Amino acid sequence: MSRKILEVTGLNKHFGGLHAVKDFNLELFEGDSLAIIGPNGAGKTTLFNLLTGYHKVDSGSILFGGMDITNRPSHEIARAGISRAFQITNIFPKLTVFENVRSAVQTQMGKAFDVFGRADKIGTEETENIVDLCGLDKRIRIVAGELSQGDKKKLELALALAGKPKLLLLDEPTAGMSLEETRETMILVDRLNEEFNLTVLFTEHDMAVVFNHAHRVALLHNGEIIVVGTPEQVRMNETVQRIYLGEDA
Amino acid sequence: MTSSAGKSKKKGSINGLYRQAGLTGTIALILGIGFLLVPLLPGEFPVIVAVEILILGLFAMSFNLIYGYMGQISFGHAAFFGLGAYATALMFRAFQGATGEIGYLDFFLSLLSAVPVSAMGALVVGFFCVRLTGIYFALLSLAFGELVFYVVFSWYGFTGGDDGIQGLMPPPFFRDTVNYYYFTLAIVAIAVVVLWRITQSPFGYSLRMLRENQQRAAFLGINVRLCMLVNFVIAGTFAGVAGALWGPFQRSVSPVLLGWTQSGIPVFMTLIGGASFFGGPMVGSVIYTALNSYVTRFTMYWPLTIGVIILFLVLFVPGGILSVVDARMAAYRRRRESDADISAGSADGREGVQ
Repeated sequence: MSRKILEVTGLNKHFGGLHAVKDFNLELFEGDSLAIIGPNGAGKTTLFNLLTGYHKVDSGSILFGGMDITNRPSHEIARAGISRAFQITNIFPKLTVFENVRSAVQTQMGKAFDVFGRADKIGTEETENIVDLCGLDKRIRIVAGELSQGDKKKLELALALAGKPKLLLLDEPTAGMSLEETRETMILVDRLNEEFNLTVLFTEHDMAVVFNHAHRVALLHNGEIIVVGTPEQVRMNETVQRIYLGEDA
Repeated sequence: MTSSAGKSKKKGSINGLYRQAGLTGTIALILGIGFLLVPLLPGEFPVIVAVEILILGLFAMSFNLIYGYMGQISFGHAAFFGLGAYATALMFRAFQGATGEIGYLDFFLSLLSAVPVSAMGALVVGFFCVRLTGIYFALLSLAFGELVFYVVFSWYGFTGGDDGIQGLMPPPFFRDTVNYYYFTLAIVAIAVVVLWRITQSPFGYSLRMLRENQQRAAFLGINVRLCMLVNFVIAGTFAGVAGALWGPFQRSVSPVLLGWTQSGIPVFMTLIGGASFFGGPMVGSVIYTALNSYVTRFTMYWPLTIGVIILFLVLFVPGGILSVVDARMAAYRRRRESDADISAGSADGREGVQ
């Protein structure tokens, strides 16, 4: 049995009267690949925000690699090894693709406060590797804000990888991508998961992506996990069909 | 035909320099040569203006670390310029009190004292300001700027209050305007090189990340507040260095140097030159300070003049003057490249046609 990497216990979050995340429990093991599915407003993005310290939790605890990261600031959680790619692309639009990734790499190297070094000499090899891996090698000089939507999503993933994460959170990694780009991206995610033993937690609306690429699937509904299991189990589950997949799924 | 070829070759060499050195390098070269030659102009007045251009230009460049690179606007940056000026002036007075005259070592120590004083000031003010962003950051910096201004303005026993401090006579060598000018040029040049290195360092890119997207920067592992604070202190310290050079040149300091009108100067300069260019604030200082000096000879309506200029710039050239130069050079290069493509494509058979 591989090592437990993430353990979430009794997590709760309210926004005013809305109970956005309800007594949420989750265990992730190294090398796992879990997809969280659920209708809009189920609490998927809120969950990611709690895991990455963007929102404070009301109660519950988050252990990452045995370390308590509950309510730690985002930058500390990032340095601990949780990287996140966003649903709505969240990049540095006026920097080039290469500068985007290089700056993220330098941050991971602990160079964010290096005033005397030269940015164009540090971490460039690592940056090239990541850019190649994400299929952006032909775009490095382009200002990120001018990329196509699909390329922006790739850059989004590249930024997340630059943090050398142990756990990668992907919020709808293929939304807005063409079929071809979706295929490429998910092949990359699988590769990261298999070759680099990177643990992946992702949300996705595209059921083909979910059932072909996740080891396990969890259905989130009204802030609660209804079902967890292998893709096959979840697909056959009656509750899932009723709530989410619809009759003909 | 030959004349047009010669002309295009000449244009090509400027373009070549531009391509080699980039906009910043070209500006640095032009300004550097220009500054070195200023004392050749007739009379003392151009040199006096040039000293002010350099000092205020450094002040504006330090401001642009916060504005252009970090993406926050400070309306209280003169507090650190003024703290630097007053630190130097008070040290001057202390040394003068002991000996009547001020020695060279005393002079340099006085200037140097601006560094820790302005840095400490920026650390305290920054500690509060970096908790906020946008308009709140701007307003808090303004409030702190005014606070420091009123402390200096009202503390007669220590700062001389609204009388300021007069009679700051530097050692004999530096009393000569041209000598002081070259001294200022050397200090500012060193400061600008250091600033350039900072903007090109990983820290400089951390600042750009904060400007573009603070939330993402935090998710990538940057301690946003600490990063902003460090930059605030660096910017305040360089403003203090600029302020230190002011007093011995004007022979006096006054609380005006810390006020909000003084804080407006780097904002104007940066808008004029272009915030997204390293050399923008210095180019802005050349235009602003030179105009100020010459316009006020003919009319008392300087605020009106600068108001109209800023209005024009904000409406028609929001990226500053350098943005126009940059766009022109880029368009020119594109045209040259497409010309080259066409002539390469038509090389067979139509050789010699233009």
